[in-house]
Amino acid sequence: MLKLILFRFLQGVMVLLIISFLIFALLTRAGGDAVSMLDNTRSSNETIESIRRIYGLDRPLMERYQNWLAETARGDLGHSLVLQAPVWSLIRLPLLRTGMLATVTLLIAWSVSLMLGIAAARRPGSLVDRLCSVVILLASSTPGLALALLALALIYSTPLMSVVGPATNADAGVLSFRVIPPAIILSVPLLAIFLAQTRVAIREALDEEFVRVARARGAPEWMVLLRHALRPAAGPLITIFGISLGSVMSGSVVVETVMGWPGLGQLTVSAVNTRDIPLLLGVTLVAAAAVMTGNLAADILQRLNNPRLRNT
Amino acid sequence: MINQEAKIREAFTQTRTELPETGNPQSAIRNPQSNDPQSAIRNWLRGRGALLTGAGLVMFFCLIAVFADLLAPYDYSSLSRREPLAPPTTIHFRDAEGRWHARPFVYARQLLDPATQRYEEITDRAYPLELFARGYSYEFLWLFPTDLHLFGTRAEAGVEAPRVYLLGADIFGRDRFSRLLMATRYSLFIGPLGALLASALGVLIGGVAGYVGGWTDAVLMRAADVIKALPTLVLILAVRATFPPGLSPADAIKLLLILFLMLGWADMARLARGLTRELRQREYVMAAVSLGCSPARVIVRHILPGAAMSLAAQTLILLPDFLLAETALSFLGAGLQEPEASWGKLLADLDGKIFKRGHPLAEFSPALVLMLFVFGARLLGNGLGNEGREREKYEWSEVETETKEGRKKEA
Repeated sequence: MLKLILFRFLQGVMVLLIISFLIFALLTRAGGDAVSMLDNTRSSNETIESIRRIYGLDRPLMERYQNWLAETARGDLGHSLVLQAPVWSLIRLPLLRTGMLATVTLLIAWSVSLMLGIAAARRPGSLVDRLCSVVILLASSTPGLALALLALALIYSTPLMSVVGPATNADAGVLSFRVIPPAIILSVPLLAIFLAQTRVAIREALDEEFVRVARARGAPEWMVLLRHALRPAAGPLITIFGISLGSVMSGSVVVETVMGWPGLGQLTVSAVNTRDIPLLLGVTLVAAAAVMTGNLAADILQRLNNPRLRNT
Repeated sequence: MINQEAKIREAFTQTRTELPETGNPQSAIRNPQSNDPQSAIRNWLRGRGALLTGAGLVMFFCLIAVFADLLAPYDYSSLSRREPLAPPTTIHFRDAEGRWHARPFVYARQLLDPATQRYEEITDRAYPLELFARGYSYEFLWLFPTDLHLFGTRAEAGVEAPRVYLLGADIFGRDRFSRLLMATRYSLFIGPLGALLASALGVLIGGVAGYVGGWTDAVLMRAADVIKALPTLVLILAVRATFPPGLSPADAIKLLLILFLMLGWADMARLARGLTRELRQREYVMAAVSLGCSPARVIVRHILPGAAMSLAAQTLILLPDFLLAETALSFLGAGLQEPEASWGKLLADLDGKIFKRGHPLAEFSPALVLMLFVFGARLLGNGLGNEGREREKYEWSEVETETKEGRKKEA
């Protein structure tokens, strides 16, 4: 287990290094930094050059990268050029909000897919089972962007607006009912994957001999389901959870922007639009790190759930 | 004691519920009940409804993309200051005096109140719709210069005919219907192209990893795992931000395709690796290897044909992901720039007030079109995947029965 954590940590650090260097290298080739977004007609070339010098943007690539790396290693992600604040202070709250969004999303997707999946797996070919197939197809083919736009329009035309409507950076805490609509939208594509997996995994588990034995012993049905069928079925479900974290993060960019949940996704978009490179680097790395941490958590869970994997 | 035994037996019989017989389309062709060609076709169609619906939808969208110029009445980028945010044009058969007309016509409209965007029809004069009206010039099928469009209104002696807005006009007075058609052309170009390129790279990497095995396999698959786990859209956005905002459409497309290529191969590589490893075990592949074929030849000539169906299905299943990534990027302003149209750009015009303005369907049409296409592509992809699996199953069962029969004969 310790080996796994260590290996994953090193791997994660390597990936973050590659990503950050890639973005840094691309920057020097194109003049796309925040300074070039200034009004070039009103400020003279000397002014622009002096601004570049102040922020160290005139230094060679490797030197800048080394400086940035040294500061990041000390936990200082730098200073936003546009918003004039430390990057970390800008990221902290949105990170929590996106974490909240992801948690609620996963909870919704899990609970719905477990309920439907168990009901479908117990009676293959029944109405619920066929309904599940339809839900899987529809949920997997509904684009989150279109769904979010529709949901937003619906919210706007109902009195729910003041309770669950879009939040702004100022009025949104981390705990807020406003997280529910974006979480529902974000959980739809996940639901398709989770439900398909749950249904198959539980159906297979119910065919196992230990389930028959448990039933033969006279264990009540809920106990058979929760203790004997769910545990072996949880393996593939945890794997799917780990894999889907990246897509949750990608999906949250769109859904947060449309539905107004000021999390990491919204921050990324605004950093892109203002070419705020230090902020963008910070956001990208934090997002990637968060997803990789989630992956590691999934792997650890996997080993806790399935003792046979623990020594691998 | 006896009681317990009975319980066990009961539990055994209870759990042995047979799975329902799922329709096996392949058996229908292989064992046609009669030689009547019509019933053979009917047999083939049975159980393939989803596949055919998907294929039909995808075909429909491809036709729209190809003939977008012909179908669009107006240039997608031409502005009309007179009618910003105009609602869809009403097509009349009955004029203000109550007379019926065989040929549909439209009325000119005037803006009543710029603040609320209310329009009123001027019923003095009717402008008949006509088929194959003249409009802006373009090249039909990229070959023949022409200015014919499927429908439109004709300008007569000094009077400019009003424009027909089937889906209304956007804030710049551009025809939403024409923009939607051209956006379909663009989105259906870049999504599938991205999926195809990334899939090709994935097949290459997966094929090599599966064939060579060992360290190469381990390294490549770890890389695939890492890429699959990354928040792709965030990365694409970050890279896009390092380029100047006003990229030309051609450059924007190139950049997007390169990013798709770099970040999209992982799923395909996993599948291709699995298939390669499985197919390597088969007799005909081993025979090719033992005959001294080079690895490249074995992969291309012996392994790829066996995996083609599954790989094609997987490409189709992945296609919506690429299409939606492009849509999301354009929506967020990191794809195309004005006045170019793509599904994502059209969606960016939507806000929360589409119900209040009273033409929700017309305004929401880009989203509906997107949903419909993704739905069709999923149906087609899933259907093809099933076909591939059925075929494989059939081939295997045939091989098994043949060897069994051979053994029987030998005996």
